Amino acid sequence: MAPVVRARGVAKQYGRRARPVLYGIDLEVAAGEVVAVRGANGSGKSTLLRILAGLTRPTAGTVDGRPRPVGWVPERFPPSERLSAAAYLVHQGRIRGLRADAARERAARLLERLALAGGAGTPMARLSKGNAQKVALAQAVLTPPALLVLDEPWSGLDAPARGVLAELIAETAGSGGAVVLTDHGGSASPTAAYLLEGGRLAPAGAEAAPLYEIVLGGAEETVLKVPATHRDAVLSDALARGRTVLGVRAL
Amino acid sequence: MTALVRYRLAVLLHSQRWLPPLFLNLVALAVLTSSDSGPLLSSYAVAAGAEFVCGVWLTAALVNAESPVGRAVTGVNAGGPERVWAGDALAGLAACAAPAVLGLGYPVVAGNHPSVTAAQLGVGALAMAGCACAAVSVGLLTSRPVIGRPGAAVLAAVAAVVLLLLVTWIPPVHETLTLLAAGRTAAGVGLPIAGLAAGGAVLLALCTLAASRRAGRG
Repeated sequence: MAPVVRARGVAKQYGRRARPVLYGIDLEVAAGEVVAVRGANGSGKSTLLRILAGLTRPTAGTVDGRPRPVGWVPERFPPSERLSAAAYLVHQGRIRGLRADAARERAARLLERLALAGGAGTPMARLSKGNAQKVALAQAVLTPPALLVLDEPWSGLDAPARGVLAELIAETAGSGGAVVLTDHGGSASPTAAYLLEGGRLAPAGAEAAPLYEIVLGGAEETVLKVPATHRDAVLSDALARGRTVLGVRAL
Repeated sequence: MTALVRYRLAVLLHSQRWLPPLFLNLVALAVLTSSDSGPLLSSYAVAAGAEFVCGVWLTAALVNAESPVGRAVTGVNAGGPERVWAGDALAGLAACAAPAVLGLGYPVVAGNHPSVTAAQLGVGALAMAGCACAAVSVGLLTSRPVIGRPGAAVLAAVAAVVLLLLVTWIPPVHETLTLLAAGRTAAGVGLPIAGLAAGGAVLLALCTLAASRRAGRG
């Protein structure tokens, strides 16, 4: 499939005398792909993701074909805003081009799915790490992203929220979006995995975790591809939300 | 862009960081223009100067009220960090409307000016617009994404404010205030002040671009 986003020879150096963080990275992500970038702390994963999301300019190299809209979930999201989570999401939805009522509806549905403890009316600055992470996740998918970039998305989330996260990733990939995420292995079951070491990217052995196809009924039929590690969480979340499970099948 | 401006103003409003600069503006107006009996335009020279200082503070507060990570998130959702800078510039101008309206209205209400004409109000509004453009320019260039250290940012902002207020050959603030205080008629200074306001708008466009490029190096 044609690549959604293609990085060619991307290098990054913070300051002229500093050691480069990335050397000549080539990476292609196609529609429907879930690509994991792994590596030790400080290996440059976040920098690579920021470059892919268009937040940081590479020192050398190019990123082609970055589609719109992009969704970006930061590694840590410590908001200082006194706005409520719901008001924040409505503003971000409008910035992403939604009308006010559509943004309100979408934000409410996402917060309900992610079960934000303390409610949507809590000021952002008072949210716990896990709940702030849920808001960070929600803002990235207020409109279905064509490229979803997630930096350590599993950290700080409780088990049900991890199930929803796996669903959101599967939904994005299923509707033709490209997903790039960092993790330390184990949590996600990507279609491709790379190891970032010494500023260079090398293919890593793809996860052995098998994929399951889950068919959900209800108002509309949805087909999700989820890793075995998240199958139960996704199923229990779907049932809790009143969906019917039409089938589960190992791929 | 409207959504960005609304978001910025909402964050500023909830942060309550607008209070000190607006309070300062009001104090300056009360102390320096109450019961003035000279020409209204000389009171407007003081009001425009106060608006300039207040506007720098409001603009920096508006940008700094959002955490750096939050700003990055907004940048992705807006389709690029440079759009956020454009939104900041417009939001800064919108925030300057508060000290501008105060500055235009207070001297009329609290002073004893011989005559108040629409032409004088119009020239005052043009002067406020030019000074607002200069204020937002300084505010953006001394905000946290451009100057990371808070102490250095405050010093840079104060230095820029003093230079723009006092140095004759740096447009547009000093020149505007001098024209207003010169005791000439509104018709006499209208055109040069409009020209200075237009120059202020160009300055703001350039400074917004500069702030965006400088902050984007990281």
